[in-house]
Amino acid sequence: MKPRTFTQSMSWLHTWAGLLLGWALYAIFLTGSLAVFDKELGWWMQPEIERPAGDAAAAAAAQRWLQARHADAGSWNIELPGERAPLLGVTAGDPRRDGSTLIDPASGEPLEPRKTVGGNFFFRFHFTLHLPRNLGIWVVGLAGMAMLVALVSGIVIHKKIFKEFFTFRPAKGQRSWLDAHNASGVLLLPFHLMIAYTGLVIFFVIYMPAALDAFYGGDRDALLRDGAPPMQASEPARGPGQSAAPAPLLPLADFVRRGEAHYGPGMLAGLRVNHPGRADARVIVQPRLGSRIELTKGEALVFDGVSGQLLQTPVPTRTSLLSQRVLAGLHFAQFGGYPMRWLYFFCGLGGCAMIASGLVLYTVKLRKQAKAPRRWLELVERLNVASVAGLGLACVALLWANRLLPVELDRRGGWETVAFFGAWLLCFLHAAVRAPMPAWREQLAGAALLCLGLPLLDLATGGALDGQRLGVDLGALAIGLLLGWAAWRIPAAAAQPRPRPRCAGAIP
Amino acid sequence: MTRLSLPSRPWLEISLRTALAILGGYALTYAFTAALARVLPLPRVDAVIVATLLSFVFYLGFILWSFAGVPLRRLALVIAVATPTLALLGFWPNLLERLG
Amino acid sequence: MNAAALLLALSLAYAGMLGLCLDMERHWKQLASPRLPPAARRACAPAGVLLLALAGWVAGTLWPPAMAAVAWFGMLSLTGLVLVLLLPYRPRLALLLPLLGTLLAGLGALA
Repeated sequence: MKPRTFTQSMSWLHTWAGLLLGWALYAIFLTGSLAVFDKELGWWMQPEIERPAGDAAAAAAAQRWLQARHADAGSWNIELPGERAPLLGVTAGDPRRDGSTLIDPASGEPLEPRKTVGGNFFFRFHFTLHLPRNLGIWVVGLAGMAMLVALVSGIVIHKKIFKEFFTFRPAKGQRSWLDAHNASGVLLLPFHLMIAYTGLVIFFVIYMPAALDAFYGGDRDALLRDGAPPMQASEPARGPGQSAAPAPLLPLADFVRRGEAHYGPGMLAGLRVNHPGRADARVIVQPRLGSRIELTKGEALVFDGVSGQLLQTPVPTRTSLLSQRVLAGLHFAQFGGYPMRWLYFFCGLGGCAMIASGLVLYTVKLRKQAKAPRRWLELVERLNVASVAGLGLACVALLWANRLLPVELDRRGGWETVAFFGAWLLCFLHAAVRAPMPAWREQLAGAALLCLGLPLLDLATGGALDGQRLGVDLGALAIGLLLGWAAWRIPAAAAQPRPRPRCAGAIP
Repeated sequence: MTRLSLPSRPWLEISLRTALAILGGYALTYAFTAALARVLPLPRVDAVIVATLLSFVFYLGFILWSFAGVPLRRLALVIAVATPTLALLGFWPNLLERLG
Repeated sequence: MNAAALLLALSLAYAGMLGLCLDMERHWKQLASPRLPPAARRACAPAGVLLLALAGWVAGTLWPPAMAAVAWFGMLSLTGLVLVLLLPYRPRLALLLPLLGTLLAGLGALA
C-alpha cells in the first residue's frame, strides 16, 4: 500500500527522514548548542587558570619567556588571551606539532592546568559524532540533508501553517505534541533552514566534489590557491641553510597595539613570529574570528619585525569564496558577541525541542493505532528515552567527571570521554529494562539532579569564580530546573509499572 | 501527517525508491554540479564554488521529487539518462585529456 | 554591548509578534477585553509589523547591518516561541511582558 496523494507521500517522507535521522540530529543539535559556549565550558573545565591581564602585557610576557628559552627557534606562536578564553599560550615551532605551553602573564611562569577534553569535545562531537573523522563528517552531512528534506516536506504537509502559528494546547496528548512540534518548527524555520544548509556548506567540496574534480582534479588546495587574493609583497628567496644576520626584534606589545588599532581592542587571536632575532623577522598579527560574519581563517597583518614596517594587509575575499565563508560563518556563530551567542544557543535548544517532540509524537501516534507492531514501537520508545534524555545526562556527566577524576590521572581526557559514553551507555541499558514512562522520568530527573548539583560541585572543587564559570553554573542551574519540571510533569500514574505501555497518556 | 507507514509495507518498492533517491540522486547531483560549473560564465574558481553551493539545493529538490509520487520506472529512467548526459557535459575536457 | 538596548529590541520583537498574534480572531478572544471595539483588532497587525520594524532598527544600533538582520530573525523566532508558551499558561503575563521589558530597559538606560 503506497501512499497515493502528494500530501501522503510527503508525510511518509517527513516521518521516515525525521525518525531515522532524528536521533542523530538531536545529538548534533544538543552538542552544537553546547559548542556555542565551547571556550566557556573549556574554561570551566580548567579551574586552575585565572584571568590574566590585557593583550599588550600578555604579549610582552610571552616575548620575555620565548626570548629566554627559544631565542634560536625558527618561529614563535603566541595565542593571546581573549574575552571568552583568557589563556596565554606560547609555542616555539608549530603549535600543532610541538604543543602549546600556557604561561602566567603576571609571573611569566608556565602554568600546568589539568588535562581535559574541554568544551572542544562538544564541538568535535557536533560534526563527527565521535566517529572516525571522515566517516563522522559524512554521517552528519547525511543527517543535515535529511533535516532539509524533513523541513521542506514538513512545510508541505502542515495544513494550517498560518492559522496555527501561535497555537499551543497543552495537556491534550497527541494534539499537544503536534502543537509543540509545529510551533518549534515553524517559528524557528529561518534558523532551521539556515543552520542545516550552512552546515553542509562548511564542508561543501568534501560533500560534493564534482566541480572540484572536473576543474582541479580533486585538489582542494589548488582551488584555495586559485581563490586567494594575489600577494602584495614577495619575500626574498633564500636557500636552505642560509639565514639573515642577527637583528633585535621590536617589542611585540607594539605590534599588538597596532593590530588592535586595525581590528579593535581585544580582537586579536594571536601573533606569529617568523625568524625571531634575525634581520628578516616577520610578525604576523592574526585577528579573532567575529569582527565580521565571514569566517576569516588565515587572514592576518604582516609586519617587518625589525623595522616595524607594515608589509601586508588583508585583501577582500572574492565574491564567490566570500559567499561560502559568510555562509560558514553564519553556522559557526563567532560574530556579534555574547548576545548573538545566546540567540544561537536558544535557537539550537529550540531545534532540540522540535526534534525531540517529533520523535515523541511518532510514538504517541503509533501507540493509538490498533495494528501497530509492538516490538517496533517499544524499540523507538526506548531509543527516544536514551537518545534524548540520556544524551543530556551524559553531557552533564562529562562536566562532573572533569572535576571528580584525579587531577594527575594519566590520559585524563580519555577518561573523561569514557565517563561521557559510559553514562550514555548506562542510559541505553536503563531504557532497555524500564518501561518508557518511568525511564523518561528517571533519566530526566537524573540529568536535572546532575545539573542542579553542578554549581555546588564547582564551589567544592573549583578555583575563583569569574564571569565565565558563573555563567556555566547559572546556566546549569536553569537547565536543571527545567529538566526537573519536565520530569515532575510526567504523570505519576504512568510511572507505575504496567504490562504494556498501551493505555498510557502522552507526557503533557 | 495523516498516516504512518510501517515497516510492514512492501519492502522492495520502498527500498528501491530510497536507494534511487539517495544514491542515484547523489550521482545525478554530482554530474549536474560538474556540468553547471562548466556552463556558468564565470572564472573557474568562482564557477566551482557557485555550482557546489547550489548542488545541495538541487539534491534536496531531487530527493523530494523522488518521493512525490513519481512512478519508480520513470525515476530510474531519469537518473539513467540524465546522469551520463550531464557527466559528459561536465567532464568532457577531462575525458579528452584522458583519451588523447 | 548595551544591555538596555538589547532588552528593548527583544521587548519590541515580542510586542510585534504579540500584535500579529492578536490580529487572529482565536487569540483576540483569548486575550483582549470583550469591551474593545473590533476596529482595535484590525489595528493589531499593522502595529505588530511596525513594532517588528522598530526592533530591527534597535538591533541596527547594536550590530552592523548584516549581523543585525541575523539577530532580528533570531529574536523574532525566540520571542514568538516565548509568546506561544505563555499564551495557554499565563495569558495576562503574555500581554504585560513587553511593557515590563520596556520599563526595565528604560530603567537600565537611566542607571
